Formats: sequence, structure tokens, C-alpha cells
Amino acid sequence: MVITGRLVLLALLGVVPVIVYPGSTSILLWALLLIVLAALDVALAASPRRIGITRTLPDGVRLGEECDSALVLRNHTARRMRATFRETWQPSAGARDPEQRVALPRGEARRRTVRLRPVRRGILRVDTVTVRSAGPLGLAARQITVPAPGVLRVLPPFHSRRHLPSKLRKLRELDGRSAVQLRGAGTEFDSLRDYVRGDDVRSIDWRATARRRGTVVRTWRPERDRRVVVVLDTSRTSAGRILDEPRLDTGIEAALLLSVLAERGGDKVHFLAFDRRLRARVDSSARGNLLSALVTAMAPLEPELIEADWSRVPAQVRSASPHRSLVVLLTSLDSGSVEEGLLPALPGLTERHVVVVASVRDPRLEDLRADRSTASATFRAAAAERALLDRAAVARQLRLLGAEVVDAVPAELPPRLADTYIRLKAAGRL
Amino acid sequence: MVGAVVLALTVLITLLSGTGEEGAPLSPENPGPEGARGVAQVLADEGVDVERPGSFDEALALLDAGPATLFLNDARQYLSATQIATLTTAADRSVLAGPGARQLTALGEDIDLVGPLPFDPGGDTPPPEAACADPRASAAGTITATGSLYSGPVECFPSATGDPPGGLYVTGADGSVGVLGAPGVLANRSITAEGNAALALQLLGSSPALVWFEPTGADVASVGEGIDPLTLLPPWVDLLLAWLLVCAVLAMLWRGRRMGPLATEPLPVLVRAAETAEGRARLYQDARSVEHAAATLRSGTLTRLARSLRVDHSAPASEIIDAAARRSGYPREELERRLLHRPTTNRELVPWSQGLLDLEKEITPP
Repeated sequence: MVITGRLVLLALLGVVPVIVYPGSTSILLWALLLIVLAALDVALAASPRRIGITRTLPDGVRLGEECDSALVLRNHTARRMRATFRETWQPSAGARDPEQRVALPRGEARRRTVRLRPVRRGILRVDTVTVRSAGPLGLAARQITVPAPGVLRVLPPFHSRRHLPSKLRKLRELDGRSAVQLRGAGTEFDSLRDYVRGDDVRSIDWRATARRRGTVVRTWRPERDRRVVVVLDTSRTSAGRILDEPRLDTGIEAALLLSVLAERGGDKVHFLAFDRRLRARVDSSARGNLLSALVTAMAPLEPELIEADWSRVPAQVRSASPHRSLVVLLTSLDSGSVEEGLLPALPGLTERHVVVVASVRDPRLEDLRADRSTASATFRAAAAERALLDRAAVARQLRLLGAEVVDAVPAELPPRLADTYIRLKAAGRL
Repeated sequence: MVGAVVLALTVLITLLSGTGEEGAPLSPENPGPEGARGVAQVLADEGVDVERPGSFDEALALLDAGPATLFLNDARQYLSATQIATLTTAADRSVLAGPGARQLTALGEDIDLVGPLPFDPGGDTPPPEAACADPRASAAGTITATGSLYSGPVECFPSATGDPPGGLYVTGADGSVGVLGAPGVLANRSITAEGNAALALQLLGSSPALVWFEPTGADVASVGEGIDPLTLLPPWVDLLLAWLLVCAVLAMLWRGRRMGPLATEPLPVLVRAAETAEGRARLYQDARSVEHAAATLRSGTLTRLARSLRVDHSAPASEIIDAAARRSGYPREELERRLLHRPTTNRELVPWSQGLLDLEKEITPP
């Protein structure tokens, strides 16, 4: 049982008889009136136990966009129900109006929507709906909490998709579809066609020209059906926040751009999220849209507070792609963890694959390094300098072991990684 | 705020001056320049019994006990006119030291406050003479010109110019009540001047006992009986309060009931990536490892210079400095001094590291 503001107002009205007829009798009578009215109201209220609730949720919503959680409430009682309901969304779901009123005539159903605007990637769960059914006088109500579980997947926003058109254009320039034909752009023989002015004379196929009247040139195209394995590190280092974004989220952005680009480029993409065990895996060879499969798999990823076990990564890569492939490791270049974990495991990857290590650089370190106004600022600059030097040393070691290193600030990492992919593809190194 | 400060100061000053009875002006125990211990001691030596009552009731009892002169020094005007009238009635003779106009209203004499004696800037005016029929005043002759003028049936010691009217010592028609407008003449500082001492002894030494009464705040007469404010309230107030309490409990029940259970928010781990660098900086600073910090800053600068000068990054410092000297045109010695100097204190470290940044900017092409 719940009392409402109306009952409190009615109780306050009791001030009048108390003043006009001073004495305990008026108080007792008024209290009795309140009790009787509230009891009557509760007795006449429709039972909220017999409400039917069905929730419809979208499969997923991209972070930063809105979606609706639709509730259908059906009144199975023989009375009219004046209900207030509330969905118990967690605060990061950004429910705008989780508490709403609805009037349900007997036997009828009404549909209400709760507008959600999630503020964090991940999986949002809602377990219950609380229904409060008020009596005809509106003085008291009955309240119960009904289990109505629901799950909403908040997908990564994929902000870096704005880079996609320009990168795709670059990719097409490598391809035979574009008018620009550079010799060396790709290594696979594609076709023969008539010479047009501007073509590289070195690409003239003299044997074919001899068979025909016109001059014929060979065209190449970039290799296709290569394999790209993207390994996203979800270990403790991915929890570090750079410009108010965890490394993991920046890595997800970069992985999404690279995967979509590689798929359009005709390559096969395998995505692995790994720390000590496999957290997520997506293969482009599977049916369905790669992008939606990726974002769905990435949505629940959270940084795990454990150290990554890089020694098991080569086996994971082999199980995803037994052939030579481009292996992209999205991790961090913190000297300690890399020296202990990644460096010993890297030769196992570089002997079979082309390896790119991509990492987010903290622009704050550069700011700290340049500030030398006071003694403590100078010590901070020295510490930042130390961190940057360590990073540079680690990157050099990685390059010595045959890996490419992409080290960029959060906004730059996805396009830089895509550029690296295009460059490697153009050079025919895949 | 200012009001509160002023109030606090006032209370403080009142308390300080109130507690220091010995230091009060015209106190018979005060040997200072403002005190009146001289007069009191001379009177005591002459056989006059100087009594100091602590309260109004005590003073009244002393006055009732026998023939006595009342000297009332009420500079703060604690007593009401009625209280003063009661005291003067009980006393054989009364001398009121500088009473306020309000306090004179119930005396039954036509005595009133005129105003302060005009200030005499030159100091060449002769001291006021008695110039009245009162034998005590006449015996004194002249007194020091100070205090306030009063008007009354017998006015002695008028101001030299006669304007404003009135006298510094005024008595009632029968001479039993005297108002001394110049109580300062009794002070130790001025008792020996003019005829002050004579006036004091004449006024205060005429009876075998002298009641020297200095009222305190405790003597302020209350205006009337206090009323219990609750009796002023209408009869239904208690019931109303009880009912409002019930309403408040209902309101708490109304607002206190939550709509369903709380939702839990799984909070993410929040680690700032630059935190390790900050922590290391604090370690450097706490350990005062200036040399270590300087070496780090130097190697950072050298690395960047090497990159911009196209020197191998593993080249020794001298090679990088050679290249920098060729590029910038600075003499090699100056570059060595700026780069390879080893600061030892924080104060040295800061300008040196700023110099490194400047050097980098000068040598690195924009």
C-alpha cells in the first residue's frame, strides 16, 4: 500500500476542524475519516498483480543515438486501472521518462514507450517494472514490482566511419577500376586492354600486341582474398583513459574502420578480442553483414583487470587463419607490459605473418613534456620524457623484430591504421 | 556582520570595564588618576564611615540603618528615577554625581539637566565661583571647570559667561539633595586643584556615614512581572501542532516510498593513462633526483635533435652536437654548455630545462 499526495492534502485540510472545534474528538474523527477513505480506495483499486507486461526492445542501439523501449500493459482485471509504472533502467541507459502514467480501461491494453539515450557502450539490463495502481479517489494505491527482463546492446559508435569514403577511394585507386593505372600498384595480373595515351609504356604486353593490330597493355590489380587478423587487447592496459576514452574504445574504432575497409578491399577479416582467453571472435567468412556482426561482438567487451597472455596469441591467430596474413595487434606500448608479454611472443608471429602493432599515444604526455614553468612541472616533464623515450625504445624493438608500428593519438589512430593497411596492400606485402 | 562585530566589541568592553571595579572612574578603591581613593581615604581618616553597598537593596538598608550621606555615582544610568527617589528619601543628604535627565524626573525637586559646560579652548577663563547661597559651595570658593550644567532652585558654580544658564552644583530647595554636575572634581587627578577638595569634604563628610553607591547592571529595575507566552496562545494550538505532526509523518510516508527497487550501475574501471607519468614525476621530486630528471630531459632533447638533423639516434652526443653546430651556426662550446650542463638543484633545473626547449625550437626547422 502506498499513500499519495492527495491524502496528505486531505490530512492538512483537517487543520480547519481542529481550529474550529478544538478538542481531541475532531482530531480522532478526522483521522478515522482518513483511514476509512484510504482503506476504501485501496480496496477499490484494480489489482496490479493481474497486469500483463510485454516489452519490446531493439537488438542494439549505437552509442549516442536514441531508441525506444516499448511496453504493452494489459489490464486483466474487471476494473479500470489508473497505473503509474516505472522501468528500472540503470542511470547510464539515459532513460528520459522512466516513470509514466497510464489509464487502462478493463480488459484493454496500452502501449507506452520509454525513450533511451545510453551514455556508455555495453550491455544494459532491465529486470523489473514497478506498477502502482491508484484507487478511484487517488488517495492510496497498491504497488508491486513485476519481473520483466530485457537486454539492450549498446554498440560502439563507429565515429571513424567518416574516414571510410576517402580510404575506399584510395583503395580503388589501387584497383583496376580507376583510371589511374600505375605499374606496381598491385602484383596480380588482371587483364589486357587497349593502350590509351598516358599509360606506362613499360606495361605494354608486346606478345599480345604482336597478335593484334593495336597496342595492348597489361593491367594489374592488388591482391585479393588475403587475410587480415585484427587482435584487440582487452587486458588491464586497455582500461587506461586517454582524452576521456579508454584505450579499448579507441582500439574498437580502429578495428572497425580497418575491418570494413579490408572487407571492401576483398580481403577476409578475422577479429579476435583477447587477454588471457578469447573474449570475442568474428570471421568475415561467416554469413551476414560483417559490420553488424563486429559491433554486436564488440558491444559487451570490457577491459579485464588481468595481464594479457601474448604467448597464446600465435595459436589463436593460427586457428583463425592458417595462412600468411596481416596480423594487426591493437594494444598499448607501455614498456613494462610489452617487454614482458608481447616482445617474446612477436617472433612467433612475424615469421609467418606481416605484423602491425597499433597503439594509442597520449597527447597529454606531449603537453606535460613541454611545460617547464615550475620545479614540479619540470619533474613532470622529465617523467613524461621518460615515458615517451620508453615508448620510442619499445617501438624500435618491435620494428627490429619485423613489425610495423602505428602510434597515434586517439583521433588519428583509425585513419593511420587504415593508411598502413593500404600502403602494405599497395606494396604487395600481404 | 559589521553589526555583530560591533555588538561583540561592545559586550566585551562592557564586561571588561564592569569586571574591573577597582579601575572604574570615581571608585573609592581606585588609586589611579580617574579614581577617587584620595577623597575616600581622607574621609575615612576624618572618622567618616565609608560604606560601599553592592546592590540597590543593600544601599537602601544602609541608608535606613542610620543617618548617612548618599553619594550616587551612576555614570551608566542603571537606576530609574523612582529608584533614585527612593534612595534620596531614605538618605539624610544625597549627592548625585552627574545624573541623566531621565533620572531626575521623580525627585520632587525642580532640578533638570541643561547641558555640558562649553569647552574653553583658550583656558584663560577663570574657574567658576560658587556664587550662591549654599554654605558648602561657598566654602569651597572655586572648582575645576568640567562636567555638565544643571538648573535648579539653588545653582552654584555657573559658567563664567552665564551662557548657558545653570550651575555645576545644584541643590533642591531644602538643600538635602544635591546634584554634582562636575563629578570629575572628586578624581585623584584634580582633587587638589582649586577648591575641589573643600567641596568634596563639605559635600560628603557632613554625616557620620557615607554610602558610596555605584550601581551595576544587576540593579536595573525590571519593568513588571513576566508573562508565560504560552498563555497568550489560543487553546487549539497544541492540538494543531499535534495534527501537523501527523501530517508530517504522512508526508514522509508519501515521499519516502520509492517506485520500485534501485537500479544498479556497474561502474567501469577508470584509469588515466598519464597517471603513471605523474606518479613517477612525484617520485623524482620527492627523491630530489635532479640529475636523473636532467639526464632524461637531455636525452629526450638529443633524440629529437638527432631525428631532425638526420643523425642516427644511437650516435653519441658529441656527434649530434657537431651536427647541431653546423646547422645553427652556434659555436660548439656554447651548445655543449647548454646541453651537457649538469644542474644540481631545482632552481638550476628549471631555467636549464627551459633553455633546452628553446634550443630545440631554434635548431629544429619549423
